[in-house]
Amino acid sequence: MERNRQDREGTRRKEVHTVGSRGSGISRRDFLKTGARIAVGGVAGLSLAGSSHGEAGRKSRVVLVRNRGVIDAQDRIRPAALGEMLDGAVAALLDERDPASAWKRIASPGDVVGIKTNVWHYLPTPEPLNEILKERLIGAGVARENVSADDRGVLANPVFRRSTALVNVRPMRTHYWAGLGSLIKNYIMFVPRPSDYHDNACEPLGAIWNLPHVKGKTRLNVLVMITPLFHGTGPHHYSPQYLWPYCGLIVSKDPVAADATGARIIEAKRRAYFGEDRPISPNPRHIVVAGSRYGLGRSRPEEIEIVRLGWNEDSLV
Amino acid sequence: MKRFQVVILLCAAASCLALFLCQESHAQDLASLGAAIPRRVAGFASEGPDATYDRKTIFDYIDGGAEVYLAYDMRGCLSRRYAASGEPAVVLDLFDMGTPPEAFGVFTLDRDGEPLEVGEDGLSREGWIRFWKGRFFVSIYAERETAGAREAALRLARAIEAGIKEKGERPKILGRLPQRGLQKQSIRYLHSHILLETHVRLSDENILGLGPDTEVVLASYVREGKRARLLLVSYPDAARAAAARKRYLSLRMAGGASKQGIAAKGGKEWLSAQAGRFLAIVLDADSRPLAESLLKEAETLP
Repeated sequence: MERNRQDREGTRRKEVHTVGSRGSGISRRDFLKTGARIAVGGVAGLSLAGSSHGEAGRKSRVVLVRNRGVIDAQDRIRPAALGEMLDGAVAALLDERDPASAWKRIASPGDVVGIKTNVWHYLPTPEPLNEILKERLIGAGVARENVSADDRGVLANPVFRRSTALVNVRPMRTHYWAGLGSLIKNYIMFVPRPSDYHDNACEPLGAIWNLPHVKGKTRLNVLVMITPLFHGTGPHHYSPQYLWPYCGLIVSKDPVAADATGARIIEAKRRAYFGEDRPISPNPRHIVVAGSRYGLGRSRPEEIEIVRLGWNEDSLV
Repeated sequence: MKRFQVVILLCAAASCLALFLCQESHAQDLASLGAAIPRRVAGFASEGPDATYDRKTIFDYIDGGAEVYLAYDMRGCLSRRYAASGEPAVVLDLFDMGTPPEAFGVFTLDRDGEPLEVGEDGLSREGWIRFWKGRFFVSIYAERETAGAREAALRLARAIEAGIKEKGERPKILGRLPQRGLQKQSIRYLHSHILLETHVRLSDENILGLGPDTEVVLASYVREGKRARLLLVSYPDAARAAAARKRYLSLRMAGGASKQGIAAKGGKEWLSAQAGRFLAIVLDADSRPLAESLLKEAETLP
């Protein structure tokens, strides 16, 4: 706990010198200017060795955007900074100079868009992020009444029921039964009996993505790494001592690649914190299986292209 | 023929009634225990009515951990929040695990912490107090540790301990563990291969064929400065134990182990043996003699 507190305080002390006058730290232009594309390598543990999907030689692009000014000293989100991070990431993901053009490639006026969020009490998808996503989709031309954010009620939500597109957004956290709460896992509320997908550490979760009311609809995945949970204790698998201010988002069209990248960051954090190899337990096999068995993406490091934007210190990947 | 059908129907009805009464009895016991726990303690007061959950609704409460409790045969959970001005919430979760061995098992999932004189094997760590007693597992969690929250949690723990009248036995399989060098705080008791993976990673598959009808105990040993871990599994019959060992050896041999199941992994010895319905695996032993001794003392080697 103490070590993590020191990490956090250390980070805040540094913020005094780096956070810009607008409070957001790094501007969208800075993101685009300083962004560097680096293929991931060498971090994968055995359990995340990965799956291959799609054409040989192709890579899945993942944008890792970080800004340590995205939260204040009380860990409250700064919406303006968060919006800039998201815009920069979506533009970089789609090779667009202008975020508005990028958002128009995510959704168009004829779309009905469900934002699949996550309401876990201890670490929910930040509400400002849900609002920013709504605003951007509406800005891309989607009618306001055709956008809705929901988690547990998606099966009954009228927007989700007639949706043509989905945006998937959730924080990453360790999880007693699945190893990780991941983007792949976030779709478990699209089935009436989630426990049907709990076998072998939730290995078959990827199957949900191929159900008719879900398949092919996901336009964007946003893995929230602002204060991820890298270890859990107690009945609710939560203790604030295992959160750390990573201040990032991982954005991709490929949920497997985004999850695999997030998982490597969590594993690296566990190694650094505990001072020894402490693999995520149970092994979050559902991520690799989502690629290998269900064809949802790529998890091998050599098949993932990471585009880095913003703050790069201690990125762990 | 008609009389036979009537008898069958009566038997079925009696079974249903017995099952209903049994479940009802568990529900009442959890509720009556809850009623005996003070609603005001050390300046904290309970908020709202108690929430209760069964095997289906527990998913609504514990997102991510419900399967852990179900793997230990949880029957019910009572949850209560305590609040005080300027203090973090203190959350009491009281689990009826059906039997004392299951309560002991779920307790052993996480044994990090400082010993605390409360209930059986009481532990405390950073705002979290837990213990087991009888068939109950008790968790009291302060969302942030303060002196006030700790005082309230401690008083609650003592009141709950006093309220639980039964004193249950530990799982019988623990009696097969060799005693010399046993690190008692390291003992884990479980049924599920997913929970075993929390402590030992053997494979992504359930190669040991674990399930609700198997008992697993895992423990660490230190003898003359040498260390090892012993995994002991009890199966319903010898055939399943033998099949599990065969699968385990195949996996080890694929990983470079010898036919006897011995592999040098980072200089450590891994050794296994099966006797009747028991399978024992020694993991990460610093020496082969230590591994063999543990297998013999666990009565799986002659």
